[in-house]
Amino acid sequence: MECSFGITGKDYVLIAADTSAGRSIVRMKSDENKIKTLGPHLAMAYGGEPGDTNNFAEYIERNLRLYHIRNHFPLLPPSASAWIRRTLAESIRSRKPYAVNLLLGGYDTTTDLPHLYWIDYLGTKAIVPYAAHGMGVYVSLSTMDKWWYEGMDKREGIEVLKKCVDEVEKRLTVALKFNCILIDKNGIHKIDLSEQDPIAKVEASPEETAVEAPNPPIEVGA
Amino acid sequence: MNSVLSQLQPPAPHLGLDQEEDEFTSSDPSAWGSMGGFGNLARNGGVQGMSIPRVNDPTAFLDLHTDNMSSNPEAKIKIAHGTTTLAFRFQGGIIVAVDSRATAGSYIASGTVKKVIEINKFLLGTMAGGAADCQYWETYLGMQCRLYELRNKERISVAAASKILSNIVYQYKGMGLSMGTMVCGWDKTGPCIFYVDDDGQRLKGDLFSVGSGSTFAYGVLDQGYRWDLTDEEAQELGRRSIVAAGHRDAYSGNTSNVFHVRENGWEFIGNYDVNELWYEYEVKKKAAREAAAPAASPMAVEA
Amino acid sequence: MELNGGSVVAMIGKDCVAIASDLRLGNQSVGVASNFEKVFPVNDKLYYGIPGLASDVYTLREHLRFRVNMYRMKEEREITPKTFTHLVSSTLYEKRFGPFFVEPVVAGIPSPTPLDPHPRPFISTMDTIGCITTPKDFAVAGTAADKLYGVAEGLWEPDLEPEDLFETISQTLLNAVDRDALSGWGVVVHLITADKVVTRTLRARMD
Repeated sequence: MECSFGITGKDYVLIAADTSAGRSIVRMKSDENKIKTLGPHLAMAYGGEPGDTNNFAEYIERNLRLYHIRNHFPLLPPSASAWIRRTLAESIRSRKPYAVNLLLGGYDTTTDLPHLYWIDYLGTKAIVPYAAHGMGVYVSLSTMDKWWYEGMDKREGIEVLKKCVDEVEKRLTVALKFNCILIDKNGIHKIDLSEQDPIAKVEASPEETAVEAPNPPIEVGA
Repeated sequence: MNSVLSQLQPPAPHLGLDQEEDEFTSSDPSAWGSMGGFGNLARNGGVQGMSIPRVNDPTAFLDLHTDNMSSNPEAKIKIAHGTTTLAFRFQGGIIVAVDSRATAGSYIASGTVKKVIEINKFLLGTMAGGAADCQYWETYLGMQCRLYELRNKERISVAAASKILSNIVYQYKGMGLSMGTMVCGWDKTGPCIFYVDDDGQRLKGDLFSVGSGSTFAYGVLDQGYRWDLTDEEAQELGRRSIVAAGHRDAYSGNTSNVFHVRENGWEFIGNYDVNELWYEYEVKKKAAREAAAPAASPMAVEA
Repeated sequence: MELNGGSVVAMIGKDCVAIASDLRLGNQSVGVASNFEKVFPVNDKLYYGIPGLASDVYTLREHLRFRVNMYRMKEEREITPKTFTHLVSSTLYEKRFGPFFVEPVVAGIPSPTPLDPHPRPFISTMDTIGCITTPKDFAVAGTAADKLYGVAEGLWEPDLEPEDLFETISQTLLNAVDRDALSGWGVVVHLITADKVVTRTLRARMD
């Protein structure tokens, strides 16, 4: 019973993922972070076969970091999505494929556009304004269809996301908690969905809500 | 649970191989009079035992050759299914809304199926799962309800009607009946919805959606549902939910039939093209947006 | 194929060809995206469509783009529809024992050459491992292939002018995908003539 959401807006991407992890019917952890920060403006929510998920996410993270170190510039979301997709497409025809589904969200600082990619373990990639993986596909895609508008501001985006989470709580037999981030031109911020207006906190103290990048940013030589 | 049970039990013995010749050779010659041609309906209105394949294990036989028992989706005989149906209770009665698509595999066999079965003036049944199963048993239920009325000089309650249906399907449990139905109506207690399925499960409730697109319908229904909806709002919510499901679910769509059940019986509200409604909603969405905020930036597209 | 759904059709007209695809990307019964084009340009007179497993659609497209670019650089000329068909075919056969789950359709107008000053419009189609067929009328592929055959057999006629061909291919695809649960969610048509390509997105059923 996994579930993740991604929503784009005017100048941001929201990504949310549930926080439960376990084996068969037992929940062994209820605060597992299943969103990986891949760069200063790139992150993904991942799910699938336990073990594969972490291994794959870390493989992606380190390679994107390597790219950043080599080029003094992070891989932009469209290019990152192409590379991740290709990695999965090659994996699916290997002896031991990764069974990992992910939602990749990023903010392209060169064009000031948000990006969201729906990618599955087969290497299928869809470029979408909003998406879900896991059980969220069945219960919340129609909610997003109804309430999502083009060019929503941050608060409107949070409202749609809250509706989706609410629907999951209503219709799934298991209770899920959600972890959420927002990516905009200032970087990646932690969002607490239980708050009335989580955006206020991001606006008031951007440093406090900032999500740590995999490594501190690299200083480009003066 | 059912599958575990059926594994533990020996294969069902075949019922009356010898007696069960076909209608033409075995039936009483007198049945060729005015009582002729009623198939397996007995004179007293009961069902006289459905004919069953002449094999050792009829359940396994059906399992192998039809796709509705899900263990063999590649089976040659594809029984029409794939549906979105919903019904909910509110201040003004009950709204029943369904789609009209029937699929056999990925082929859209029909886009004009009537998935609401009008049992009588006060009772509606919805159809999800095997089309024939629903149609036959709900029509039969209509007969039983009429007999009840004649015998007791009062209309049957929704609870009793749905129980007749659930008792019938429970008898055939494990034999491949496929139906998920909502029996909706107005009786002495007011508006009432019962969900009855092929497991024999029977649930009373305020809001149900059944079928392959049901989860999508719930997604819109739950977020827009209130008890004090006006009649127009409620009908619109039903329609909107079917459109949402028709959009996302490959096996639902084409048109939507909406019914409204009130104290004096049900009323057919209309038949709407899901596709046209979808475009209409998109236009409204855009218009509402432009009214609120003039300029919206386009979504990111890959270069 | 039935995992993601999708269909492509190509038709020959009088000095023109047309190729069209639906826009659905599904995950079995659930529609995921309605912007997934399955027809790609090779150059301004040659297009190809690859319905099938979406992962392989991307992979094969990347593969072919690389090979066509290499061809262009080595030969210093554009690839012809016929050569391109063989390129696709051998690319598919390379994976004979672990095939790409796609059924490509190629449509193009060859450029006139001294040897062949009046070339005919060309379409071809392949199975998953590269067996080529070159029909003289139309080619269909994807989850709605059988439905496309039915409609195309009824609507297509020889020597259609560009605008008539556009109408024919559009009606063929629109009506075929309306009978297929796994195709639809938008339709895009490319009409290729000797001097230009016209691309139109059609208003299709969204259910």
